[in-house]
Amino acid sequence: MADTAKKSTKTVKKIEEKKPPGKYRVEVIAGKCIGAASCVAIAPKVFALDSKQIAYVISEDELDDTKLLAAQSCPTAAIVVIDTETGEQVWPK
Amino acid sequence: MTPQQPPVRIPPQIYTAVLTEKKQLNARYFFLHLELQMPNRITFTAGQHVSLSVPGIDQRKSYSITSTPEMNHAVELLVDIQPQGPGSQYISQVNIGEEVSFLAPLGRYHITQQDDPICEKEKALTFIATGSGIAPFKSMIIDQLRRVGDTRKIRLIWGVRHEDDLVLLEKFEELQLGFPNFEFHPVISQAQPEWNLCRGHVDDCLNVHGFIPESGYYICGNKEMVQQIADLLIQKGISEDIIHWEKYN
Repeated sequence: MADTAKKSTKTVKKIEEKKPPGKYRVEVIAGKCIGAASCVAIAPKVFALDSKQIAYVISEDELDDTKLLAAQSCPTAAIVVIDTETGEQVWPK
Repeated sequence: MTPQQPPVRIPPQIYTAVLTEKKQLNARYFFLHLELQMPNRITFTAGQHVSLSVPGIDQRKSYSITSTPEMNHAVELLVDIQPQGPGSQYISQVNIGEEVSFLAPLGRYHITQQDDPICEKEKALTFIATGSGIAPFKSMIIDQLRRVGDTRKIRLIWGVRHEDDLVLLEKFEELQLGFPNFEFHPVISQAQPEWNLCRGHVDDCLNVHGFIPESGYYICGNKEMVQQIADLLIQKGISEDIIHWEKYN
């Protein structure tokens, strides 16, 4: 019993560690991306460019403000920011 | 077409600056000089851009830096207000003395550096711009000619609709006089009868003056034009890895 409790605590801890630090989730609309790479410069842990210079999400592990700034700095508004707690689209408004 | 990394990767940061000069160059273009306040110096690579904060509406707009990196106490922008969106309206209304805020430096667009193996393939440089796509090229070409001392042939083709839109004509004519390896070809799509240089679009001008086979090609303007010219270059046998572009929205 004690072992199970210990294991379960460990599992919870592991899940908490993997959870992104904020409530925002980002998506790239590939058809709108022009490869300006502002997002990569601002949030390199979240965005990368593929071989066609189109941005994609590599991780959600970043602060909400940084993700939002990266999205707002996209010249074509190709990054959508969703508040996972309310389901609302935060950006573009 | 080759993804590029800026030679010096400076993390972007928020700058505040004061608008100290604003000129309306014609009905469409504004020139802005933003004197940096905090931080008061900037390091960037010619070809990069800023993300300007548009006050009151929580939006940002991207503009290429048209000044050279040597001017590290200010940035200068050439802004096309024809889109008439929030950015255009802000630029039209902002007054000298007002504080502005932007994020910089951003973007990966730059001339291939000497330590890049691709540079070996670029025995000349051809720049092809339409409209305000000229803004980063002014920075890149002046930096390359004056600071780098590049002696390769450098050709600039700039397409606009009307003669009045050639707002940097004198600057490039002056460069042409000072640097024999630099040639400038303006092309006008709706030219007056007295216009005696290239008429039509940038591809017409390219066809007139020919394609330099061992040139790096740098294209900047609206994304349809960029794609069209890139496709044309590939058809002409230009290798994809020496075609570099910056697409405007």
